[in-house]
Amino acid sequence: MITATDLCLALDGRAVLDHVSFTVAAGESVALVGPNGSGKTSILRCLLGLVPFDGRVTIDGHDVMREPIAARSLLSYVPQKAAFGDAAAHEVLAFVAKLRRLNRSRIPLTLREVGLEGHAEQRVRTFSGGMQQRLSLAVALLADTPVLLLDEPSASLDREGQGHFFEIVARLRKRGHTLLLASHRPEEVESLCDRVLHIDRGRIAAPATPIVRHARVIALGARGERR
Amino acid sequence: MRIRETTLVAARELHDAMRSRWFIVAAGCFLALSLGLAMLGLAGAQRSGLAGFDRTTASLLNLALVFVPLVTLSLGGLGIAGELEDGSLALLLAQPITRGEAYAGKYLGLLAAVTASICIGFGATGIIVGVAAGSGNARGFLALVALTLLLGAATLSIGTVLSVALRARARVIGAAFAVWLLLVYVSDLGTIGLTLARNLAPGQVFTLALLNPVQQARVLGTLALTDRLDVLGTVGAFGLDHFGTVGLPVLLAGVLLAATALPFVVGYVLFRRTAIT
Repeated sequence: MITATDLCLALDGRAVLDHVSFTVAAGESVALVGPNGSGKTSILRCLLGLVPFDGRVTIDGHDVMREPIAARSLLSYVPQKAAFGDAAAHEVLAFVAKLRRLNRSRIPLTLREVGLEGHAEQRVRTFSGGMQQRLSLAVALLADTPVLLLDEPSASLDREGQGHFFEIVARLRKRGHTLLLASHRPEEVESLCDRVLHIDRGRIAAPATPIVRHARVIALGARGERR
Repeated sequence: MRIRETTLVAARELHDAMRSRWFIVAAGCFLALSLGLAMLGLAGAQRSGLAGFDRTTASLLNLALVFVPLVTLSLGGLGIAGELEDGSLALLLAQPITRGEAYAGKYLGLLAAVTASICIGFGATGIIVGVAAGSGNARGFLALVALTLLLGAATLSIGTVLSVALRARARVIGAAFAVWLLLVYVSDLGTIGLTLARNLAPGQVFTLALLNPVQQARVLGTLALTDRLDVLGTVGAFGLDHFGTVGLPVLLAGVLLAATALPFVVGYVLFRRTAIT
Protein backbone atom coordinates (compact mmCIF):
# COMPACT_ATOMS: atom_id res chain seq x y z
CA MET A 1 0.00 0.00 0.00
CA ILE A 2 2.83 2.41 0.94
CA THR A 3 6.16 2.19 -0.85
CA ALA A 4 8.98 4.58 -0.01
CA THR A 5 12.12 4.19 -2.10
CA ASP A 6 15.43 5.88 -1.39
CA LEU A 7 13.99 8.91 0.40
CA CYS A 8 16.52 11.68 0.90
CA LEU A 9 15.54 14.97 2.46
CA ALA A 10 17.56 18.06 3.36
CA LEU A 11 16.02 20.99 5.22
CA ASP A 12 17.93 24.27 5.68
CA GLY A 13 21.07 22.58 4.37
CA ARG A 14 20.89 19.78 6.96
CA ALA A 15 20.40 16.17 5.87
CA VAL A 16 17.23 14.92 7.56
CA LEU A 17 16.59 11.65 5.72
CA ASP A 18 19.29 9.52 4.14
CA HIS A 19 18.18 6.86 1.63
CA VAL A 20 15.20 5.61 3.58
CA SER A 21 13.28 2.76 1.95
CA PHE A 22 10.41 0.68 3.32
CA THR A 23 7.05 -0.74 2.41
CA VAL A 24 3.82 -1.12 4.34
CA ALA A 25 1.38 -3.72 3.07
CA ALA A 26 -2.36 -3.10 2.86
CA GLY A 27 -3.99 -3.64 6.26
CA GLU A 28 -0.65 -3.62 8.05
CA SER A 29 0.04 -1.44 11.07
CA VAL A 30 3.63 -0.20 11.30
CA ALA A 31 5.32 2.00 13.91
CA LEU A 32 8.11 4.47 13.24
CA VAL A 33 10.13 4.77 16.41
CA GLY A 34 13.28 6.66 17.23
CA PRO A 35 14.63 9.53 19.28
CA ASN A 36 13.56 13.16 18.82
CA GLY A 37 14.87 14.57 15.54
CA SER A 38 15.53 11.13 14.08
CA GLY A 39 13.29 11.81 11.06
CA LYS A 40 9.95 10.13 11.91
CA THR A 41 7.83 13.20 11.23
CA SER A 42 9.86 13.99 8.11
CA ILE A 43 9.05 10.55 6.70
CA LEU A 44 5.34 11.22 7.19
CA ARG A 45 5.71 14.64 5.54
CA CYS A 46 7.38 12.99 2.55
CA LEU A 47 4.49 10.53 2.29
CA LEU A 48 2.10 13.51 2.19
CA GLY A 49 4.23 15.40 -0.33
CA LEU A 50 4.62 18.32 2.08
CA VAL A 51 8.39 18.58 1.67
CA PRO A 52 10.53 18.45 -1.49
CA PHE A 53 12.47 15.17 -1.31
CA ASP A 54 14.56 12.96 -3.56
CA GLY A 55 13.39 9.40 -4.07
CA ARG A 56 9.91 8.07 -4.66
CA VAL A 57 6.79 7.49 -2.61
CA THR A 58 3.72 5.69 -3.88
CA ILE A 59 0.39 5.13 -2.18
CA ASP A 60 -1.40 2.20 -3.77
CA GLY A 61 0.71 2.79 -6.88
CA HIS A 62 0.08 6.56 -7.06
CA ASP A 63 3.21 8.70 -6.94
CA VAL A 64 2.66 11.40 -4.29
CA MET A 65 4.52 14.05 -6.27
CA ARG A 66 3.17 13.25 -9.73
CA GLU A 67 -0.37 12.26 -8.75
CA PRO A 68 -0.84 14.17 -5.49
CA ILE A 69 -4.63 14.22 -5.62
CA ALA A 70 -4.99 10.49 -6.27
CA ALA A 71 -2.39 9.68 -3.60
CA ARG A 72 -3.78 11.99 -0.92
CA SER A 73 -7.34 10.81 -1.58
CA LEU A 74 -6.18 7.55 0.01
CA LEU A 75 -4.50 9.21 3.02
CA SER A 76 -5.53 10.81 6.26
CA TYR A 77 -3.11 12.56 8.56
CA VAL A 78 -3.25 13.14 12.29
CA PRO A 79 -0.37 15.51 13.18
CA GLN A 80 1.48 15.98 16.44
CA LYS A 81 -0.10 19.36 16.97
CA ALA A 82 -3.34 20.06 15.18
CA ALA A 83 -4.43 23.56 14.08
CA PHE A 84 -7.51 24.52 12.13
CA GLY A 85 -7.52 28.31 11.86
CA ASP A 86 -10.48 30.23 13.18
CA ALA A 87 -13.32 27.87 12.31
CA ALA A 88 -15.82 26.03 14.51
CA ALA A 89 -15.42 22.25 14.85
CA HIS A 90 -18.34 21.40 12.56
CA GLU A 91 -17.06 23.90 9.96
CA VAL A 92 -13.69 22.14 9.87
CA LEU A 93 -15.40 18.83 9.21
CA ALA A 94 -17.82 20.36 6.69
CA PHE A 95 -14.88 21.82 4.77
CA VAL A 96 -13.11 18.45 4.63
CA ALA A 97 -16.38 16.75 3.64
CA LYS A 98 -16.85 19.19 0.76
CA LEU A 99 -13.23 18.85 -0.40
CA ARG A 100 -13.43 15.06 -0.35
CA ARG A 101 -17.02 14.96 -1.66
CA LEU A 102 -18.27 13.13 1.44
CA ASN A 103 -21.73 12.97 2.92
CA ARG A 104 -22.00 15.73 5.53
CA SER A 105 -24.70 13.91 7.46
CA ARG A 106 -21.90 11.84 9.03
CA ILE A 107 -20.41 14.87 10.80
CA PRO A 108 -22.46 14.68 14.06
CA LEU A 109 -21.75 10.96 14.35
CA THR A 110 -18.03 11.52 13.80
CA LEU A 111 -17.92 14.25 16.45
CA ARG A 112 -19.69 11.89 18.86
CA GLU A 113 -17.18 9.15 18.07
CA VAL A 114 -14.30 11.34 19.29
CA GLY A 115 -16.23 12.81 22.22
CA LEU A 116 -16.72 16.31 20.80
CA GLU A 117 -20.48 16.16 20.20
CA GLY A 118 -21.11 19.06 22.60
CA HIS A 119 -18.51 21.29 20.94
CA ALA A 120 -19.65 21.36 17.31
CA GLU A 121 -20.28 25.12 17.30
CA GLN A 122 -17.25 26.02 19.40
CA ARG A 123 -14.28 27.79 17.77
CA VAL A 124 -11.35 25.39 17.49
CA ARG A 125 -8.96 28.13 18.69
CA THR A 126 -10.60 27.85 22.11
CA PHE A 127 -10.09 24.06 22.24
CA SER A 128 -7.46 22.50 24.50
CA GLY A 129 -4.58 20.62 22.85
CA GLY A 130 -6.32 17.31 23.54
CA MET A 131 -9.59 18.50 22.00
CA GLN A 132 -7.79 19.72 18.89
CA GLN A 133 -6.10 16.35 18.64
CA ARG A 134 -9.46 14.60 18.87
CA LEU A 135 -10.78 16.87 16.15
CA SER A 136 -7.91 15.95 13.86
CA LEU A 137 -8.75 12.31 14.49
CA ALA A 138 -12.37 13.18 13.62
CA VAL A 139 -11.16 14.63 10.30
CA ALA A 140 -9.40 11.33 9.59
CA LEU A 141 -12.43 9.27 10.64
CA LEU A 142 -14.76 11.33 8.49
CA ALA A 143 -12.52 10.88 5.44
CA ASP A 144 -12.41 7.12 6.16
CA THR A 145 -9.38 6.63 3.91
CA PRO A 146 -7.65 3.27 3.58
CA VAL A 147 -4.35 4.70 4.90
CA LEU A 148 -3.89 6.60 8.15
CA LEU A 149 -0.68 8.47 9.03
CA LEU A 150 -0.43 9.25 12.73
CA ASP A 151 2.31 11.49 14.12
CA GLU A 152 2.56 11.02 17.88
CA PRO A 153 -1.19 11.40 17.96
CA SER A 154 -1.74 10.89 21.66
CA ALA A 155 1.01 13.27 22.82
CA SER A 156 -1.41 15.94 24.02
CA LEU A 157 -4.15 13.61 25.27
CA ASP A 158 -4.82 12.85 28.92
CA ARG A 159 -4.98 9.26 30.15
CA GLU A 160 -8.69 8.92 29.41
CA GLY A 161 -8.25 10.53 26.00
CA GLN A 162 -5.39 8.15 25.21
CA GLY A 163 -7.54 5.14 26.09
CA HIS A 164 -10.34 6.44 23.89
CA PHE A 165 -7.88 7.14 21.09
CA PHE A 166 -6.41 3.60 21.31
CA GLU A 167 -9.92 2.15 21.03
CA ILE A 168 -10.71 4.14 17.91
CA VAL A 169 -7.43 3.35 16.18
CA ALA A 170 -7.65 -0.32 17.18
CA ARG A 171 -11.11 -0.38 15.58
CA LEU A 172 -9.75 1.12 12.38
CA ARG A 173 -7.00 -1.47 12.37
CA LYS A 174 -9.52 -4.29 12.72
CA ARG A 175 -11.48 -2.83 9.81
CA GLY A 176 -8.39 -3.31 7.66
CA HIS A 177 -7.04 0.25 7.48
CA THR A 178 -3.31 0.59 6.87
CA LEU A 179 -1.62 2.48 9.71
CA LEU A 180 1.75 4.18 9.92
CA LEU A 181 2.34 5.54 13.39
CA ALA A 182 5.24 7.70 14.58
CA SER A 183 5.53 7.32 18.31
CA HIS A 184 7.69 7.51 21.43
CA ARG A 185 5.31 5.50 23.58
CA PRO A 186 6.01 1.78 23.92
CA GLU A 187 2.46 1.02 25.09
CA GLU A 188 1.02 2.79 22.04
CA VAL A 189 3.31 0.92 19.64
CA GLU A 190 2.68 -2.36 21.40
CA SER A 191 -1.09 -2.11 21.38
CA LEU A 192 -1.56 -0.71 17.89
CA CYS A 193 1.23 -2.00 15.63
CA ASP A 194 2.36 -5.26 14.02
CA ARG A 195 5.84 -4.15 13.07
CA VAL A 196 8.40 -1.50 13.98
CA LEU A 197 10.80 0.54 11.85
CA HIS A 198 13.53 2.02 13.99
CA ILE A 199 14.72 5.39 12.68
CA ASP A 200 17.96 6.95 13.82
CA ARG A 201 19.60 10.06 12.39
CA GLY A 202 17.53 9.89 9.24
CA ARG A 203 18.18 6.24 8.47
CA ILE A 204 16.43 2.96 9.04
CA ALA A 205 18.56 1.81 11.96
CA ALA A 206 17.55 -1.84 12.01
CA PRO A 207 15.51 -4.19 9.85
CA ALA A 208 11.80 -4.12 10.57
CA THR A 209 11.13 -6.07 13.73
CA PRO A 210 8.01 -7.74 15.00
CA ILE A 211 6.35 -5.76 17.72
CA VAL A 212 7.01 -7.83 20.88
CA ARG A 213 10.76 -7.85 20.46
CA HIS A 214 10.95 -4.19 19.65
CA ALA A 215 8.72 -3.06 22.48
CA ARG A 216 11.30 -4.48 24.86
CA VAL A 217 14.08 -2.58 23.06
CA ILE A 218 12.18 0.69 23.48
CA ALA A 219 11.58 -0.03 27.14
CA LEU A 220 15.27 -0.72 27.67
CA GLY A 221 16.13 2.49 25.80
CA ALA A 222 13.82 4.47 28.03
CA ARG A 223 15.44 2.99 31.17
CA GLY A 224 18.84 3.78 29.73
CA GLU A 225 17.84 7.43 29.21
CA ARG A 226 16.71 7.74 32.84
CA ARG A 227 20.10 6.59 34.08
CA MET B 1 -6.33 23.67 -11.50
CA ARG B 2 -9.84 22.65 -10.42
CA ILE B 3 -12.34 25.48 -9.97
CA ARG B 4 -14.48 23.77 -7.31
CA GLU B 5 -11.60 23.04 -4.92
CA THR B 6 -10.07 26.50 -5.45
CA THR B 7 -13.44 28.11 -4.69
CA LEU B 8 -13.84 26.01 -1.53
CA VAL B 9 -10.47 27.17 -0.22
CA ALA B 10 -11.29 30.78 -1.21
CA ALA B 11 -14.64 30.63 0.61
CA ARG B 12 -12.95 29.30 3.74
CA GLU B 13 -10.30 32.02 3.56
CA LEU B 14 -12.92 34.75 3.10
CA HIS B 15 -14.89 33.37 6.04
CA ASP B 16 -11.81 33.28 8.28
CA ALA B 17 -10.67 36.78 7.20
CA MET B 18 -14.11 38.28 7.89
CA ARG B 19 -13.97 36.84 11.39
CA SER B 20 -10.46 37.93 12.25
CA ARG B 21 -10.24 40.88 14.65
CA TRP B 22 -7.43 42.43 12.69
CA PHE B 23 -9.51 42.54 9.51
CA ILE B 24 -12.59 43.90 11.30
CA VAL B 25 -10.49 46.72 12.78
CA ALA B 26 -8.92 47.53 9.39
CA ALA B 27 -12.27 47.51 7.57
CA GLY B 28 -13.87 49.59 10.35
CA CYS B 29 -11.05 52.18 10.16
CA PHE B 30 -11.41 52.36 6.39
CA LEU B 31 -15.16 52.91 6.66
CA ALA B 32 -14.75 55.55 9.39
CA LEU B 33 -12.02 57.43 7.48
CA SER B 34 -13.99 57.33 4.20
CA LEU B 35 -17.09 58.68 5.91
CA GLY B 36 -15.04 61.29 7.77
CA LEU B 37 -13.46 62.52 4.53
CA ALA B 38 -16.85 62.55 2.79
CA MET B 39 -18.33 64.67 5.59
CA LEU B 40 -15.42 67.11 5.43
CA GLY B 41 -15.75 67.23 1.64
CA LEU B 42 -19.46 67.93 1.90
CA ALA B 43 -18.93 70.70 4.43
CA GLY B 44 -16.41 72.33 2.07
CA ALA B 45 -18.69 71.82 -0.92
CA GLN B 46 -21.49 73.74 0.77
CA ARG B 47 -19.15 76.70 1.22
CA SER B 48 -17.48 76.61 -2.22
CA GLY B 49 -20.33 75.21 -4.28
CA LEU B 50 -18.22 72.37 -5.76
CA ALA B 51 -19.85 69.10 -6.76
CA GLY B 52 -19.81 66.61 -3.88
CA PHE B 53 -18.26 63.64 -5.69
CA ASP B 54 -15.27 65.53 -7.11
CA ARG B 55 -14.07 66.75 -3.75
CA THR B 56 -14.80 63.43 -2.04
CA THR B 57 -13.07 61.44 -4.77
CA ALA B 58 -9.95 63.58 -4.50
CA SER B 59 -9.84 63.07 -0.72
CA LEU B 60 -10.56 59.36 -0.96
CA LEU B 61 -7.85 58.85 -3.58
CA ASN B 62 -5.21 59.93 -1.09
CA LEU B 63 -6.74 57.79 1.64
CA ALA B 64 -6.84 54.74 -0.66
CA LEU B 65 -3.22 55.21 -1.78
CA VAL B 66 -1.99 55.12 1.82
CA PHE B 67 -4.46 52.84 3.56
CA VAL B 68 -5.15 50.06 1.03
CA PRO B 69 -1.49 49.01 0.54
CA LEU B 70 -1.00 48.96 4.32
CA VAL B 71 -3.95 46.62 4.85
CA THR B 72 -3.36 44.35 1.85
CA LEU B 73 0.40 43.96 2.31
CA SER B 74 -0.05 42.78 5.88
CA LEU B 75 -3.18 40.72 5.13
CA GLY B 76 -1.43 38.95 2.24
CA GLY B 77 1.68 38.60 4.37
CA LEU B 78 -0.13 36.83 7.16
CA GLY B 79 -2.12 34.59 4.80
CA ILE B 80 0.38 31.79 4.28
CA ALA B 81 3.00 32.56 6.95
CA GLY B 82 0.38 32.44 9.72
CA GLU B 83 -0.86 29.01 8.67
CA LEU B 84 2.68 27.74 8.14
CA GLU B 85 3.54 28.73 11.70
CA ASP B 86 0.47 27.29 13.40
CA GLY B 87 0.49 24.08 11.34
CA SER B 88 -2.92 24.45 9.72
CA LEU B 89 -1.38 24.68 6.25
CA ALA B 90 0.01 21.14 6.64
CA LEU B 91 -3.48 19.87 7.41
CA LEU B 92 -4.92 21.69 4.41
CA LEU B 93 -2.26 20.33 2.06
CA ALA B 94 -2.73 16.82 3.46
CA GLN B 95 -6.16 16.90 1.78
CA PRO B 96 -6.53 15.91 -1.88
CA ILE B 97 -5.86 19.34 -3.36
CA THR B 98 -2.87 20.66 -5.27
CA ARG B 99 -0.60 23.44 -4.06
CA GLY B 100 -1.83 25.61 -6.93
CA GLU B 101 -5.44 25.23 -5.77
CA ALA B 102 -4.51 26.02 -2.16
CA TYR B 103 -2.39 29.03 -3.17
CA ALA B 104 -4.91 30.51 -5.62
CA GLY B 105 -7.80 29.79 -3.26
CA LYS B 106 -6.11 31.58 -0.39
CA TYR B 107 -5.25 34.60 -2.55
CA LEU B 108 -8.75 34.84 -4.03
CA GLY B 109 -10.37 34.49 -0.61
CA LEU B 110 -8.28 37.34 0.77
CA LEU B 111 -8.96 39.42 -2.33
CA ALA B 112 -12.69 38.87 -1.83
CA ALA B 113 -12.37 40.05 1.79
CA VAL B 114 -10.46 43.17 0.68
CA THR B 115 -13.03 43.81 -2.06
CA ALA B 116 -15.87 43.53 0.45
CA SER B 117 -14.13 45.95 2.81
CA ILE B 118 -13.45 48.52 0.05
CA CYS B 119 -16.99 48.24 -1.32
CA ILE B 120 -18.53 48.70 2.14
CA GLY B 121 -16.29 51.72 2.90
CA PHE B 122 -16.71 53.43 -0.46
CA GLY B 123 -20.30 52.24 -0.91
CA ALA B 124 -21.48 53.86 2.32
CA THR B 125 -19.56 57.03 1.43
CA GLY B 126 -20.97 57.08 -2.11
CA ILE B 127 -24.55 56.76 -0.88
CA ILE B 128 -24.14 59.56 1.68
CA VAL B 129 -22.46 61.93 -0.78
CA GLY B 130 -24.94 61.04 -3.53
CA VAL B 131 -27.94 61.78 -1.30
CA ALA B 132 -26.45 64.96 0.17
CA ALA B 133 -24.78 66.54 -2.87
CA GLY B 134 -26.25 64.88 -5.96
CA SER B 135 -24.58 62.50 -8.39
CA GLY B 136 -22.01 65.06 -9.78
CA ASN B 137 -18.97 63.22 -11.15
CA ALA B 138 -20.13 59.77 -10.04
CA ARG B 139 -18.12 58.17 -12.86
CA GLY B 140 -14.92 59.49 -11.35
CA PHE B 141 -15.96 58.05 -8.00
CA LEU B 142 -16.70 54.63 -9.53
CA ALA B 143 -13.35 54.75 -11.35
CA LEU B 144 -11.72 55.37 -7.97
CA VAL B 145 -13.42 52.27 -6.54
CA ALA B 146 -12.21 50.16 -9.48
CA LEU B 147 -8.73 51.62 -9.22
CA THR B 148 -8.57 50.92 -5.48
CA LEU B 149 -9.55 47.31 -6.11
CA LEU B 150 -6.78 47.00 -8.69
CA LEU B 151 -4.24 48.54 -6.32
CA GLY B 152 -5.46 46.23 -3.55
CA ALA B 153 -5.03 43.19 -5.81
CA ALA B 154 -1.46 44.24 -6.69
CA THR B 155 -0.31 44.93 -3.13
CA LEU B 156 -2.09 41.81 -1.82
CA SER B 157 -0.09 39.87 -4.37
CA ILE B 158 3.16 41.43 -3.13
CA GLY B 159 2.13 40.61 0.45
CA THR B 160 1.53 36.99 -0.55
CA VAL B 161 5.06 36.71 -1.99
CA LEU B 162 6.47 38.08 1.26
CA SER B 163 4.41 35.51 3.14
CA VAL B 164 5.77 32.57 1.13
CA ALA B 165 9.35 33.84 1.07
CA LEU B 166 9.72 34.81 4.74
CA ARG B 167 7.51 32.12 6.33
CA ALA B 168 7.25 33.67 9.82
CA ARG B 169 4.62 36.17 11.01
CA ALA B 170 7.08 38.55 12.71
CA ARG B 171 9.43 38.69 9.71
CA VAL B 172 6.55 39.12 7.28
CA ILE B 173 4.92 41.97 9.22
CA GLY B 174 8.26 43.78 9.42
CA ALA B 175 8.87 43.32 5.71
CA ALA B 176 5.29 44.33 4.81
CA PHE B 177 5.69 47.58 6.74
CA ALA B 178 9.05 48.25 5.05
CA VAL B 179 7.54 47.62 1.59
CA TRP B 180 4.61 49.88 2.46
CA LEU B 181 6.99 52.69 3.42
CA LEU B 182 8.95 52.11 0.24
CA LEU B 183 5.90 52.15 -2.05
CA VAL B 184 4.02 55.00 -0.41
CA TYR B 185 6.74 57.39 0.78
CA VAL B 186 10.33 56.39 0.05
CA SER B 187 9.87 55.82 -3.67
CA ASP B 188 8.53 59.37 -4.09
CA LEU B 189 11.51 60.80 -2.23
CA GLY B 190 13.86 58.50 -4.12
CA THR B 191 12.45 59.59 -7.46
CA ILE B 192 12.77 63.26 -6.51
CA GLY B 193 16.33 62.68 -5.26
CA LEU B 194 17.35 60.77 -8.38
CA THR B 195 15.75 63.38 -10.63
CA LEU B 196 17.72 66.14 -8.95
CA ALA B 197 20.99 64.23 -8.67
CA ARG B 198 20.97 62.63 -12.11
CA ASN B 199 18.94 65.18 -14.02
CA LEU B 200 16.49 62.52 -15.14
CA ALA B 201 14.45 63.19 -18.26
CA PRO B 202 10.62 63.08 -17.92
CA GLY B 203 10.60 59.73 -19.75
CA GLN B 204 12.92 58.22 -17.14
CA VAL B 205 10.78 59.56 -14.30
CA PHE B 206 7.73 58.07 -16.03
CA THR B 207 9.49 54.68 -16.30
CA LEU B 208 10.40 54.81 -12.59
CA ALA B 209 6.75 55.52 -11.75
CA LEU B 210 5.70 52.46 -13.75
CA LEU B 211 7.68 50.30 -11.30
CA ASN B 212 5.52 51.35 -8.35
CA PRO B 213 1.85 50.28 -8.25
CA VAL B 214 1.01 53.11 -5.84
CA GLN B 215 2.38 55.66 -8.33
CA GLN B 216 0.45 54.00 -11.17
CA ALA B 217 -2.72 54.21 -9.09
CA ARG B 218 -2.00 57.83 -8.16
CA VAL B 219 -1.73 58.92 -11.82
CA LEU B 220 -4.75 56.79 -12.83
CA GLY B 221 -6.84 58.24 -10.02
CA THR B 222 -5.84 61.80 -10.85
CA LEU B 223 -6.70 61.16 -14.51
CA ALA B 224 -10.17 60.01 -13.45
CA LEU B 225 -10.69 63.41 -11.84
CA THR B 226 -9.01 65.78 -14.28
CA ASP B 227 -6.68 65.97 -17.27
CA ARG B 228 -5.21 69.31 -16.24
CA LEU B 229 -1.46 69.04 -16.74
CA ASP B 230 -0.58 71.15 -13.68
CA VAL B 231 -2.46 68.66 -11.48
CA LEU B 232 -1.08 65.55 -13.18
CA GLY B 233 2.58 66.51 -12.62
CA THR B 234 5.61 65.44 -14.66
CA VAL B 235 4.76 61.77 -14.88
CA GLY B 236 1.12 62.29 -15.84
CA ALA B 237 1.92 65.08 -18.26
CA PHE B 238 4.58 62.97 -20.00
CA GLY B 239 2.23 59.98 -20.16
CA LEU B 240 -0.64 62.02 -21.49
CA ASP B 241 1.60 63.60 -24.10
CA HIS B 242 2.95 60.24 -25.33
CA PHE B 243 0.00 57.90 -24.91
CA GLY B 244 -3.04 60.19 -25.04
CA THR B 245 -6.14 60.35 -22.86
CA VAL B 246 -7.20 56.81 -23.76
CA GLY B 247 -3.79 55.16 -24.08
CA LEU B 248 -2.40 56.33 -20.72
CA PRO B 249 -5.20 54.90 -18.52
CA VAL B 250 -5.08 51.65 -20.53
CA LEU B 251 -1.29 51.47 -20.13
CA LEU B 252 -1.42 52.19 -16.40
CA ALA B 253 -4.27 49.72 -15.77
CA GLY B 254 -2.32 47.10 -17.78
CA VAL B 255 0.82 47.72 -15.72
CA LEU B 256 -1.21 47.46 -12.50
CA LEU B 257 -2.60 44.13 -13.70
CA ALA B 258 0.95 42.99 -14.50
CA ALA B 259 2.01 44.16 -11.02
CA THR B 260 -0.65 41.80 -9.67
CA ALA B 261 0.12 38.85 -11.92
CA LEU B 262 3.92 38.88 -11.62
CA PRO B 263 4.18 38.64 -7.81
CA PHE B 264 1.31 36.14 -7.83
CA VAL B 265 3.25 33.85 -10.18
CA VAL B 266 6.54 34.35 -8.32
CA GLY B 267 4.75 33.50 -5.06
CA TYR B 268 3.30 30.34 -6.59
CA VAL B 269 6.69 29.20 -7.90
CA LEU B 270 8.14 29.67 -4.40
CA PHE B 271 5.13 28.04 -2.74
CA ARG B 272 5.44 24.94 -4.93
CA ARG B 273 8.92 24.36 -3.52
CA THR B 274 8.19 25.38 0.05
CA ALA B 275 8.74 22.72 2.68
CA ILE B 276 5.64 22.58 4.88
CA THR B 277 7.16 21.79 8.25
